[in-house]
Amino acid sequence: MIPASEKPGPWPARLDLLQSVSGLFLGLFMWLHMLFVSSILLGEEAMWTVARFFEGYFFFGYGLPWLVSLFVAGVFGLFVLHAWLALRKFPAQWRQHRVYWTHMRSLRHEDTTLWFVQVITGFGMFFLAPVHLYLMMTHPELIGPYESADRVWSGMMWPLYLVLLFLVELHGGIGLYRLAVKWGNFSDPASARRKLKRLKWAFTVFFLALGLVTLAAYIKLGIEHAPHVGEPYMPLSSRAAP
Amino acid sequence: MSSNAARTLTFNVFRHNPRDSATPPRVVAYSLEETPGMTLFIALTRIRETLDPSLSFDFVCRAGVCGSCAMVVNGRPGLACRTLTAQLPAEIRLFPLPGFELIADLSVNTGKWMRGMSERLQAWLHMQEEPDVDALEARMEPAMAEAIYELDRCIECGCCISGCGTAQMRTDFVGAVGMNKIARFRLDPRDARDDADFFDLVGDDTGVFGCMSLLGCHDVCPKQLPLQTQIAYLRRGMARQGLLG
Amino acid sequence: MKIIHTDVLVIGGGLAGLRTAIGAKRRGLETLILSLVPAKRSHSVAAQGGMQASLANGIKGEGDNEDVHFEDTVRGSDWGCDQHVARMFTHMAPKAVRELAAWGVAWSRVQRGDREVVINGQRVTLTEKEAAHGLITARDFGGTRKWRTCYTSDGTGHAMLYTVSDQVIAESIPVHERMEALALIHDGLRCQGAVVRDMITGELSAYLASATVLATGGYGRIWGISTNALINEGMGAALALETGVARLGNMEAVQFHPTAIVPAGILVTEGCRGDGGLLLDNDGHRFMPDYEPEKKELASRDVVSRRMAEHMRAGKGVKSAYGDHLWLDISNLGAAHIDKNLREVKDICRYFLGIDPVKDPIPVRPTQHYSMGGVRTDHRGESPWLHGLFSCGEAACWDMHGFNRLGGNSVAETVVAGMLVGEYVADFCYSKAGQSDLSPALAREFVERERAGLNALVAKPGSENAVALRARMEQIMTDKVGLFRNGQDLDSAVVELAELLARSRNVGVRASNLDANPELVLAYRLPRMLKIALTVALGAQRRTESRGAHFREDFPARNDRDWLNRTLAFWREGDDLPSLDYEALDVLHMELPPGFRGYGVKNIVEHPDSAVRQAEVDEMLAAKPDRYSRQSALMPFKQLLPARYRARNARLDDTP
Repeated sequence: MIPASEKPGPWPARLDLLQSVSGLFLGLFMWLHMLFVSSILLGEEAMWTVARFFEGYFFFGYGLPWLVSLFVAGVFGLFVLHAWLALRKFPAQWRQHRVYWTHMRSLRHEDTTLWFVQVITGFGMFFLAPVHLYLMMTHPELIGPYESADRVWSGMMWPLYLVLLFLVELHGGIGLYRLAVKWGNFSDPASARRKLKRLKWAFTVFFLALGLVTLAAYIKLGIEHAPHVGEPYMPLSSRAAP
Repeated sequence: MSSNAARTLTFNVFRHNPRDSATPPRVVAYSLEETPGMTLFIALTRIRETLDPSLSFDFVCRAGVCGSCAMVVNGRPGLACRTLTAQLPAEIRLFPLPGFELIADLSVNTGKWMRGMSERLQAWLHMQEEPDVDALEARMEPAMAEAIYELDRCIECGCCISGCGTAQMRTDFVGAVGMNKIARFRLDPRDARDDADFFDLVGDDTGVFGCMSLLGCHDVCPKQLPLQTQIAYLRRGMARQGLLG
Repeated sequence: MKIIHTDVLVIGGGLAGLRTAIGAKRRGLETLILSLVPAKRSHSVAAQGGMQASLANGIKGEGDNEDVHFEDTVRGSDWGCDQHVARMFTHMAPKAVRELAAWGVAWSRVQRGDREVVINGQRVTLTEKEAAHGLITARDFGGTRKWRTCYTSDGTGHAMLYTVSDQVIAESIPVHERMEALALIHDGLRCQGAVVRDMITGELSAYLASATVLATGGYGRIWGISTNALINEGMGAALALETGVARLGNMEAVQFHPTAIVPAGILVTEGCRGDGGLLLDNDGHRFMPDYEPEKKELASRDVVSRRMAEHMRAGKGVKSAYGDHLWLDISNLGAAHIDKNLREVKDICRYFLGIDPVKDPIPVRPTQHYSMGGVRTDHRGESPWLHGLFSCGEAACWDMHGFNRLGGNSVAETVVAGMLVGEYVADFCYSKAGQSDLSPALAREFVERERAGLNALVAKPGSENAVALRARMEQIMTDKVGLFRNGQDLDSAVVELAELLARSRNVGVRASNLDANPELVLAYRLPRMLKIALTVALGAQRRTESRGAHFREDFPARNDRDWLNRTLAFWREGDDLPSLDYEALDVLHMELPPGFRGYGVKNIVEHPDSAVRQAEVDEMLAAKPDRYSRQSALMPFKQLLPARYRARNARLDDTP
């Protein structure tokens, strides 16, 4: 039989599972995140409400921004973990890069090409996402309609967000699709895969569209609010107070 | 143009003898008149018989069952013997399967690779005991026999390895052929091994946890083996084994 | 020069060779397999329909046993087989199936209760016994009285080859792939191994072995169109022939399978007809009942093939660009059955014909399929003329098939012969004869001779074209040594083939490299193929009778009086033609004396001993109460078997 020194032990299994679970969480979180952020489309008040909600404002009657910091720190940690785990699968040497590239170009196979898209987008996020995450972790109170709009426009973050939007939605959509085919138990795998693929593209297109409209909304708001840059949003409730 | 006018096909064939350092790898074009029902087997044989007797390639059964003739046809791995030229454009590119040792031209050493894989994965039925061949055979549910045969249909042609980005990058990856073997013996109630044993064989990144679910294997398998389902099933089992021991 | 020493050298990585190797290895011998191709690519993989063994588990197999299987086999052979060997075989077949079941073959199993099948074109409901549930099931095949053919869908050969090949790996038996034996090393008395060419690097080496086993398959590829794999060029038989000592048996006994697709010549299994498929002519008429009212499509293969050819000659064939053909219609079996039990057939139709057999009939015609002839051996698989040379499987004329093989008996033979010959080879290796010294000097001499031959080939471009010569040989074999034979055609075939053989000496090779070089391979194989073709043609020309698959239009009777014998061919060095000799079959010791097979009109010239023996047999049959004692009184054979395989086979209906 196999000598004990050559047995794999439990870690490869754990790491693979961890990669999938962290990816699943991050992917789903990014979709939810997009929905929350897009609350701006329903108005400034709606966005303010969502932002404060996560600070526990409606539980405690006052906001605890460190709750958000804590959550962001968690996401950040998961992000690092996921990146580290995924990095193990990346082509590390030039030979592997070249082989994969040649293989992909020759095979013209969608799932194979999509993986390369994941590598590129993952690589991009590796640099861009921490900027945003660090900011949110250290300044959770700066999440709000005017605060965010100022950051997007006057803080010159919109190019980063624009790129990040594409990276995240492509990477997450493909990743979630891949998780399904990786672990899923389908009685008719061919038709399940076709449906999953369609669903994946539908989600990606939807969230990209939503993201672009949302970003446009923040830019517009940011331009309008530029003269008052730095002034936080006052919710209707506090404005109504005497 | 009349639809039954015979096409002239151009075969751009990879040529290289790795033992001949004087001649670098190259692509040689051969022109051939297409005939009805022409397969790549017929075409390549004709090229060898009429144009270039030194062209190396492998055909054995020429009926799609032995797995010898897998090659890359216009970018996709497949069995050449059962590929009709009628389904291809007039320009046809033929390359040897990547991921295997090149013998010459379109001939690669899949046999050596497969034997190595089999030895490494101990891909044979591990009997509980030697059978008494005089006695009635052990019973098996008919549905179980069919399910095993379904996975047993692999012909070790190597297409899944050539269609797999992971296997192309990582030469120690066992690929779909290896994982399917494990799935086959794991399913078989006659096999004495349990998940702990199988985990030792494929429970790492050279095995099932190295698979990135690109599914090239599934999509190029000439036997249409249910590789997607089987790899997922194996992965779940091995993950359970890895987590719970 | 490299010399590799081993106890047992098995040449050929198909089922017979692999199983022999396992047997020898398990007896503690160092064993090594040579194979032209990776072992799992061997032609055994192409066996589709199944393997005969009288398990008698299914309802249509009820009452089956070794006796019935034996009779079917002997009748099928047209009394040309060695009845002792047929007995050994039928006794072993259940053991072989059961061993394979334990080793991993996923044999299709009996499902208790009702199931619908097609018999004689009609849907019939069979009810399988509760007690048989989960045991190995069987389908119907031609020329058998019971449903006896065990199967896994229509990939039986594949399932068997993979299982046995996997066990070879489990036993750590090395398989030297892409290696070709070019000559047997021998001193005229004792075979000592082989000269071997590495087909990748071109390196020549000597493999010295106490026992050498030829398990190289048949010689179907000397015909232009054959169901055989491309590697079945008769090179094993040629190795034996070129020793000048060993003899080939019944080379003219060549089977044409009724249903190969047109034009590719790819086989579709007899299981198609066994499961209820029909043969139709250009009018869509089912013609087989007109010729063979009793067995119809399920007559013996030689009979069905001849009837088909006869029907096409009568103008009832379907015209096509590739000549006439007939239809095989399995659409009546239904999509579910085809998807489950005939999936390879469906794939073949789809990929090579572009049709769906669920709806469309399949264009078929008789095509060269099996070589009953081969290296003549005794019941132990050893050549009586060259000690230490063994042969088994299709390569051998062990002689359980005589002049016609039953469908399902060939894959069965491969494994059975492997089980037995593995033991006999081991016995030989442990015997005094087997332990005599091997000569490296002799090996060197043989290697140098082959090296000189190869160097001579690449030294000149040559004045003859090997491809053209081969094409001509194939054409001669197809036209003149085919399904129907006659003296005139055979005479000219022999003359022409001999001429081709002479011309083949002027073949050269343009590309001068000695490593992987397909042109070189054809150049050295061609004369060997021509020699095999000549033994076939000459054997057929001399045999002035019709027996089994050997049918002479000018001698349509089976002539037991003059021809109840086995042709033996050998080739004296320097001769232009093989020499033929004949070995009589001993009627007075037959368990089943020669009789009428029951096809067409009885046309037999009786052997004088047949009636005598029949009377004896009838008397003995009446005297003995049970089948085992009857059998051992008629023709004892157990003493020929290795001790470990002598026990009776258990069956479901054994009375306790």
